[in-house]
Amino acid sequence: MDSRLDMFEDVNTSPSLEGDMSIPGKRTTTTTAQHGVPEYNTLDEPIRETVLRDMRAVGIKFYHVLYPKEKSSLLRDWDLWGPLVLCTFMATILQGSSSADSMSDNGPEFAQVFVIVWIGAAIVTLNSKLLGGNISFFQSVCVLGYCLTPVALALIICRVILLSTQTHFLFFLRFVTTTIGFVWATYASFIFLGQSQPPHRKPLAVYPIFLFFFIISWLVLSHN
Amino acid sequence: METPTADDLLQFRDYSATNSGTPAQINVNSPTHATGGGAGGAGGGGVNYNGQRQRGDPLSDLIYDMSNSAQNIIGGGGNDGSGGANASLGSADGGGTAGGGARLSFLTIEYYQQFFNVDTYMVLERIVNSMIPKRAATNYLRMNIGENPDLYGPFWITITLIFSIAISGNLASYLQQADDSYHWHYNFHLVSYAASCIFLYANILPAILWALFKYSLKPVDATDAVETDSASYTPSLLSLMCIYGYSLAIYIPVSILWVINISLLQWLLVITAALLSGTVLIAVLTPALRNSQYSLFLIIGILGAHIILAAGFLLYFFHSPPEAAALAAKTTPAPLIKNILPKLSTQAVAGDLPPANLTN
Repeated sequence: MDSRLDMFEDVNTSPSLEGDMSIPGKRTTTTTAQHGVPEYNTLDEPIRETVLRDMRAVGIKFYHVLYPKEKSSLLRDWDLWGPLVLCTFMATILQGSSSADSMSDNGPEFAQVFVIVWIGAAIVTLNSKLLGGNISFFQSVCVLGYCLTPVALALIICRVILLSTQTHFLFFLRFVTTTIGFVWATYASFIFLGQSQPPHRKPLAVYPIFLFFFIISWLVLSHN
Repeated sequence: METPTADDLLQFRDYSATNSGTPAQINVNSPTHATGGGAGGAGGGGVNYNGQRQRGDPLSDLIYDMSNSAQNIIGGGGNDGSGGANASLGSADGGGTAGGGARLSFLTIEYYQQFFNVDTYMVLERIVNSMIPKRAATNYLRMNIGENPDLYGPFWITITLIFSIAISGNLASYLQQADDSYHWHYNFHLVSYAASCIFLYANILPAILWALFKYSLKPVDATDAVETDSASYTPSLLSLMCIYGYSLAIYIPVSILWVINISLLQWLLVITAALLSGTVLIAVLTPALRNSQYSLFLIIGILGAHIILAAGFLLYFFHSPPEAAALAAKTTPAPLIKNILPKLSTQAVAGDLPPANLTN
C-alpha cells in the first residue's frame, strides 16, 4: 500500500504534468517524446503557424518522394493531404468533357479517376497486408498517394506539349515523359514499401503497385 | 468396423479402441466445417472434403492423418503471415486442430490471410501449369490446389486481364483508324464492359460447376473400400475459382498480340489459346469429372464456355471499330453536318459498341 502511494506521489510531482494550461509559446519537454506527437503546446499558437507547419510537413514528403533517399519520414508521419491534392488535380485535368463537341475526347470522368486512385490504393494496400506485410493501412495509402507526384508532373508536361499541333515526334515525347514518370513512381514506392514484405513474397506485393501506376500512366498518356 | 486383425496391424495409434468416440479435437464433422463449402482454410481444403467421408475406414483414415501431419509440419514452417490460427497447427493432431484452431471470425484480417498463403514461385508455377497441358500431376486439383487454394492469383490475373483488354482494345481501334485522319479518343467504357464480363465468367461459372459436381455425384459402391475416398471427391468452391482464375492467365499475352490487325492471326490466337487452356481445364478437373454422372455434358460445357469467352473478347473488343470507322469517314468530309448532328456522330463514333456490334 505504501509503495503504491509512493508511486502516485511520484507521478503527481513530476514537472511535466504540473503547471498552467495557458503557457504561451513553445516549451520543450525532456521526458518521453513519442513519434509524431508535437513536443510543444499547440493550443495557443496562431492558426498561420499551424497551417504552415502542416504545409511544411507535406512539402517535405513531396521532396522525399522526388528524391527517395530517406525512408522513414513518409512512413512515420503519414498524412493524406498530398494524395488528395494530387488526385484532385489529376482528375480535374484528365476528365473528358461530354459536351456536344464531337472532337472532344471521351475520356474518364472525374469520379472515375478519383475512384481508380483511391480504391486502387486501398486494394493494393489490402493485398500487401493480406500477403503478410507489416505496414499499416494508412501508411501504405499515404506512400502510394505521394508517389503519384512524378506521374502528376508528367501529366503537366504532357498538357503543355498538347498545346501545340500534334505530330508523331510530339507523341513520342509524351510517351517518353509518361514512361519516365511511371518508372520513377514505381521505383519510389518500391523503396518505401519494399522492406515491409517478407523476401519470398516481395514480387507478389510489388506487382500490384506496378499495375496501379501503369494504369494511371496509361490514363495520362491517352489523354488528348 | 471391419475385421480387427488386419486393421489392428495397420493402426499405429494407442487409442485405437476409442476411434469411433474420438475426443473433440479430431472433430472433423464439426458443423462449422461441414457446412463451409468454400470457407476452407489452409488445411480447410482437406477438412472440407473430409466432411463427406465416413470416419470408420481405418486405412484411409491413416493415410489422411499421416498426410495431414506431414503437410502441417511442412506447412507450419512456411506460414509466416497466416495469423495465429495456422501457427497453432501442431504436428500432433493434424486435421483435427485445423478444425479447432481455425475458428477465426471472418471480420478479422487473419481469416483472409489464409487465402493468400502463397509464395512467388508457387504463383508462377500455377500460372505455367495453367498454360501447358499435362504439366500438372493428375492429383493436382486435390493435393496442390485443394490443400492451398489461393485468391491472389485469380484476383490479380482478372484485374490484369481487364485492363490489358481495355488498353489493347483502345490501341487496336487507334491503329485501325490512324490512316483515316480520324480523331482518335479514348473509350473508357471498354474497361467497365470488360470488367463485368470477366468477373462474371471467373465467379459465376465456378459456382455453377461446383453445384453441378456436388449434385451429380455417381452413387458410390460401399464395398470397394479404397475407391470410396476418391470416388466421392468433389472439388471445393475455392479450388474451382482458383483453377478458373489461373486459366485466364493465357489470355493476357494473347490480348496484347491481338493489337496486330491481321484477322487470320487473331483467329489463330483465339483458337490456340482456347484449346490450350481448355485442355488444361479438362485435364486438371478429370478427377472430379470422373465422379460425375454428366461428365460428357460437363466437358462440353466447360470447353464451350471457354471458347465463347475467347471469341467474345475478340469480336466485341477488337472487331467492331471498322463499322465506327465507316461512319466516321462519312461524317468527317461534312463538318457542317457534324455540327448539326453532334450527338449522333459522337455516339456512333465514340464507340457505343453494342449497336455497331449488332450491325455486324
